[in-house]
Amino acid sequence: MRFTKSYIIQYLFLLIIILFLILIINNVHFNLIRTGLGFDFAWLFRPASFSLAEHILPYSPSNSFAWALLVGWTNSLRVIFVALIFSTIIGISAGILGKSHNYILKFISRLYILIIRQTPLLLQLLFWYFVGFLSIRNPVNIIVPIINISNQGINIFGYILTPEFSSLIIGLSVFTGAYIAEIVRGGLNSVPKGQWEAYKSLGISDSIGLKDIIIPQALPAILPGLTSQYLNLAKNSTLAIAVGYADIYAVSDTVINQTGKSIEGFILLLIGFLFINLIISNIMEFFNRNILKNKA
Amino acid sequence: MKIITKDIKFLLFKARKIGINNKTDLFITFILLVGVFATLTNFLNWIFFHANWEVVSRNLNLYIIGTYPKALSWRPFLWISIIILLSFTTLLKKLNYIKKRFIYICWLLIIPLGIYLLAGGINIIPISTNFWGGLSLTLILTFISIIIALPIGILLALGRQSNLLIIKKITSLYIDCMRSVPLIAILFFGQLLTPLLLPVGMEINRVIRAIFSFSIFVSAYISEDIRGGLQSVPQNQIEAAKVLGLNKYQINKFIVLPQALIIAIPALTNQAIGLLQNTSLMAILGLVELLGISRSILANPQFIGSHLEVYVWLALIYWLVCTIIALLAKKIERHFSKSLNFQGDL
Repeated sequence: MRFTKSYIIQYLFLLIIILFLILIINNVHFNLIRTGLGFDFAWLFRPASFSLAEHILPYSPSNSFAWALLVGWTNSLRVIFVALIFSTIIGISAGILGKSHNYILKFISRLYILIIRQTPLLLQLLFWYFVGFLSIRNPVNIIVPIINISNQGINIFGYILTPEFSSLIIGLSVFTGAYIAEIVRGGLNSVPKGQWEAYKSLGISDSIGLKDIIIPQALPAILPGLTSQYLNLAKNSTLAIAVGYADIYAVSDTVINQTGKSIEGFILLLIGFLFINLIISNIMEFFNRNILKNKA
Repeated sequence: MKIITKDIKFLLFKARKIGINNKTDLFITFILLVGVFATLTNFLNWIFFHANWEVVSRNLNLYIIGTYPKALSWRPFLWISIIILLSFTTLLKKLNYIKKRFIYICWLLIIPLGIYLLAGGINIIPISTNFWGGLSLTLILTFISIIIALPIGILLALGRQSNLLIIKKITSLYIDCMRSVPLIAILFFGQLLTPLLLPVGMEINRVIRAIFSFSIFVSAYISEDIRGGLQSVPQNQIEAAKVLGLNKYQINKFIVLPQALIIAIPALTNQAIGLLQNTSLMAILGLVELLGISRSILANPQFIGSHLEVYVWLALIYWLVCTIIALLAKKIERHFSKSLNFQGDL
């Protein structure tokens, strides 16, 4: 009796979902006929005829829409990986400084987390782009021949990073860094106090103690949180459109505007994103497994 | 001489207390102090003498109510002042049980009141959502989306925990898909693709489409937070309830969910704060909420080049609203967690 009841509930639920999907697909079908758009992917191989300011793969407006989307995808990947490295550096330093015995360092770390986490990322990106880069009047030379910052972007050894790319990297790294710092702080707090006291009483210096004793023990608590922050970083990188960087979302948006193929464009965007997620979670899984294996 | 060494020893002791152990520490501290001091003076100098706050002071109305008709602007203003008043009474006053009940009911009434005041209807002139904007739009987007997403999230969490296989698989699929897609893609879907999904002739306005997108997105995240809460309810509670003869529905309603929700309050607060910040994405998709209206103010040639002032001002508003939400949640959590005690006693 109980079995039949639960089966009825499940199949009823399934039936409702299927009916709902059929209704939606029917509506979409009807609307596509009505607006004369149709559903096909043949447009992917027509020339894109819009230009992209930045691309690592060779690209010209005569290339196909498919190639333009791929270029956007690689642009996304580029931003994600550079920001991933910088955010890790910022996050780990800020997290460790938060545990420092120096009150001022602790205060700075807390203030950083407090300000960054309570303001929207989009606002921060616009800030870095419009205030951080575009409003520079006099170029700044940090180390005269090496790094030069102006409203044309950052120039390192003659390799020019555009203001769009640079502001995106800075914004994403600083934002994600604050979240990573919280995770690192939590991980360090999870190491028993006795371990800290033990290395100190053995006369081991703080830097070696952290590197060899505390951090290896904190890593299992840090890594899962870190993975989810990296995935968030990848998701947040789609805000690139606000500063005019041609990432996968921005290119998809342009493509959809040009062709009117919104459903197909959206599906391709989701597939592109699925691959980005898979890449990141696989790499993190690899790290996770190796580190945990070394520990054992 | 003796006194001086004593003084130095005392100073060293004090220094150690605030974390200065040796010369390197002293050096680092000194440099940091100089840096912090220089940044602060520069910033204050800019705020009081160099910044041109005209772009904020002359558009104060726009930031708060957007393009809402001038003659009726008292309506959003009234709503926002009620919210502020209610927040302060909740935060500052020590209240007895009955007054607390009253305040919680007031909080629940805030949303219908906001819809009534902004949209109009019975007895007051109706205003189209096209005119909504500024902080009032940001707040109403956040509140309504959260209140819709919370029950959906609870149902999804229960579905994922249930032992009915089909329901479990479908809810897991939904949650995992939603969590792997960027929010802006969902919002884009809501703004551009939902018209294609609807029957011919049926149209939904943009604010409602945005609320719909936010709700389906946030409900997936909320459900994961609540699942965390569900898992941390001790198993013996459920066994005890079974022994007492409660059925599944009763166990969930009276035993598991109340405890799970209280445990999940901090995580849910973070979701609410995240949602409030994420409403700013609608600026990209053409709503004039707080960030959107600022973008159109900055596009005005009269205020060209005052980005920094506007962004500092916006950061301050967002920061204040987020902090107030966090404080309110802490207060609510403290109120509820008194009744939550896993340790048994005689």
